[in-house]
Amino acid sequence: MKIKKGIGVSPGVAIAPAVVLDIEEFDIPRRQVPSDMGQVEMRRLRKAVEVSRKELADLRERTAERVGKEVASIFDFHRGLLGDKELMGKFQDAVLQGHATAEYAVATVLRAYAKELQSMPAYLADRTKDIYDVEKRLLRNLLGEKRESLAHLTRDVNVLAHDLTPSQTAGIDRGHVRGLAMDAGGRTSHTAIVARALGIPAVVGLNDLTAEVGGGDVVIIDGDRGVVVVEPDTRTIREYKRFAEQQVELVHELEALRDLPAITLDGHEVTLLGNIEFPDEVGTVLDQGGQGIGLYRTEFLYLGGQKEEPGEDDQYRAYREVIDRCAGRPVVIRTLDLGADKYTQARARTPERNPFLGLRSIRFCLQNLPMFRRQIRAILRAGTAGPLSVMFPLITSILELRQAKSIVRDVAEDLEEEQIEHRADVPMGIMVETPSAALQGDALARESDFFSLGTNDLIQYTLAVDRGNERVATMFTAAHPAVLRLIKDVIRAGQRHGVPVSLCGEMAGDPQFTMLLLGLGLRVFSCTPLSIPRVKQVVRSVTVQDCTRLARKVMGFDSDREVLTCLALELRRALPGSLAD
Amino acid sequence: MKLSDIIVADAIVPKLASRTRDEAITELVEALAEAGAISRAKVKDITKAILAREAQATTGIGKGVALPHVKLEGIKKPIGTIGCSGEGIDFNSLDSKPVYSVILLLSNPKNPDEHLQAMETIFKHVQRDIFRKFLRQSETSQAVIELIREADEIG
Amino acid sequence: MPAVETEVEIVNKYGLHARPAVLLVEAANRFGCKIEISNSSLSVDAKSIMSVMRLAAGKGTVLKIVAYGEDAEQAVREIVKLFADGFGEE
Repeated sequence: MKIKKGIGVSPGVAIAPAVVLDIEEFDIPRRQVPSDMGQVEMRRLRKAVEVSRKELADLRERTAERVGKEVASIFDFHRGLLGDKELMGKFQDAVLQGHATAEYAVATVLRAYAKELQSMPAYLADRTKDIYDVEKRLLRNLLGEKRESLAHLTRDVNVLAHDLTPSQTAGIDRGHVRGLAMDAGGRTSHTAIVARALGIPAVVGLNDLTAEVGGGDVVIIDGDRGVVVVEPDTRTIREYKRFAEQQVELVHELEALRDLPAITLDGHEVTLLGNIEFPDEVGTVLDQGGQGIGLYRTEFLYLGGQKEEPGEDDQYRAYREVIDRCAGRPVVIRTLDLGADKYTQARARTPERNPFLGLRSIRFCLQNLPMFRRQIRAILRAGTAGPLSVMFPLITSILELRQAKSIVRDVAEDLEEEQIEHRADVPMGIMVETPSAALQGDALARESDFFSLGTNDLIQYTLAVDRGNERVATMFTAAHPAVLRLIKDVIRAGQRHGVPVSLCGEMAGDPQFTMLLLGLGLRVFSCTPLSIPRVKQVVRSVTVQDCTRLARKVMGFDSDREVLTCLALELRRALPGSLAD
Repeated sequence: MKLSDIIVADAIVPKLASRTRDEAITELVEALAEAGAISRAKVKDITKAILAREAQATTGIGKGVALPHVKLEGIKKPIGTIGCSGEGIDFNSLDSKPVYSVILLLSNPKNPDEHLQAMETIFKHVQRDIFRKFLRQSETSQAVIELIREADEIG
Repeated sequence: MPAVETEVEIVNKYGLHARPAVLLVEAANRFGCKIEISNSSLSVDAKSIMSVMRLAAGKGTVLKIVAYGEDAEQAVREIVKLFADGFGEE
């Protein structure tokens, strides 16, 4: 039994066998074989080695012809490795003595070797990627067509990986995935967001978890404590099962809140909305007491399928479904916010060196107007079915906003001319998620119908911390005074110009920040559906007067630590008991 | 798509005589007819359509630039022209400041993608401070043509 | 059969990196004899690329080569030549 500590990013406990994804989505199947199968495994392995060596010889020839001998010589290295007696000896030990499957033997032996290389001087450590390459080749030849895909699972599993790209999470079979555990990532990494949206436990930042777990190992993912237990003993399993039952009770408590209004003790109304990625999450938002959708992330339409780009009608159907399910409640659709991800990178002729600061999101859309137009058309057409607003992400300048708005107007005209029913004057707002937008709140407020604070990215750009980088994940916090000051400024700018401001980052669903945000003047929160009850409970237990006083105090602090300590204390005071953690 | 694919060189008006928005637009449509890019017979309809659209929502996007445009039957591919005004014209711009450069665009309603590509190109260059500055300083058609060629090269 | 022993110095700028290591190992594998290479702390099988990389031998390092078997002399001669030629690098 091994206990690994990471960052718990989505609450709950999941006990299930693991599916371990390799970088190329290889699922390394069962770790063990019965001892009489050892020779069979060795035969498989030897065959895979032969095939791989032949592939490499061919590859070397072709590369030498086309590119040059120097470059081709690296494949000699790969071949040499596969021909190394020591390597075969280690494979044999792992299979015959350790009863490992061929795949598991390959993975463990090669990774151990890679680890060895890493501590050597640079010119040797550089070869680590070659080791992984050889591993991939061998695995590919071993597994052939038998790759288990995330989208078609046949049993309940916990999924472990180095990291999941948005494309992979979009394809998850939600019926069978019980929990997620990643080597990489931080609190607001993509995996965290998706796990919370799906309501499954997740732990990230585990560093080298995938190197130590084999497919089929039972693992416990404890999203509350941020712990993963590999091959737990019976006592641990029993304890966790008991803990899981307690959690279920807590959930029932929160359900009772669903139909109660979100009003503070001194009578201030607060609007609680949900963030969604898929139309069928609307049900969850409403179940949890949400009053509408404050953020519909449309990226998953572009990532989930096999086609290049979803057609206008596919999009129309999705948007229409959301609006219909909301039955008259407000819906805010955010235009395509892709970037720094497989979608735009794969299509870029030369990959960007710094995709987060590159051609992504609205910038990408404004340079791909035909594609942007299709999305806007679908949105405007769907807008006949209910209240709908459009939100542009990553706006950093007023010209950008004007361009986007003029495109929307243009598209509306086209629809008018084609005599297709559409919503002609849809409200258009922006995500305020960059320091430049936050600092230009007044100018932008004059030309926007509403603001939504995208605190995930705002924190990232303001603190210059990559939220997906496990090495600096602890520096990423909403409680940093600089971030709080920008949030306050934006809320004030909105108030000055009569522009409603909402907050749709993960901060909105974190009960620790609710009082502070109320005190800064925020009245609209849009968060992951499962967080709505907790936030509502805070709202119903405080007065805006107290919150304002708290905000004034907190805004005087210099460090995030002071802020967090104060907020934790206040929360405990307001809500003694279950929800304070 | 390049700017030089869109802008009709012979229709460029480096010194707009008009002082008002409607007159400036009329002047530019006439220039396109003079250059043979559109038929004389259409001038009235085209001007009317652009003015109607302009009345609905200003295309003065700020920073001294206005982008009046319209989609009309009979236009084969996106074409346009540029007019410069030294004194500035009131376009009821979004930033409430005068317009010094008017970029007119005509497109075919049956080819929305081409229209959008033309818009994309124009937007891209108009975003650049340097482009707007040089455009405003241009005194002759030749200067504008050269500026456009340079801009296309930079991409 | 007596062992054939000698010493070689690494003249390559980047030492015994992947490319020379491959050449060395390929050469060693052409012979039937047992060949060992050692630095001051480690002694490894010259026919195994993983082992040879472990020497982490940089420029200027002196390595000892010992071969046991029928073609030991030939083997050592070839290997010495490789090292002396700098494995064909500048």
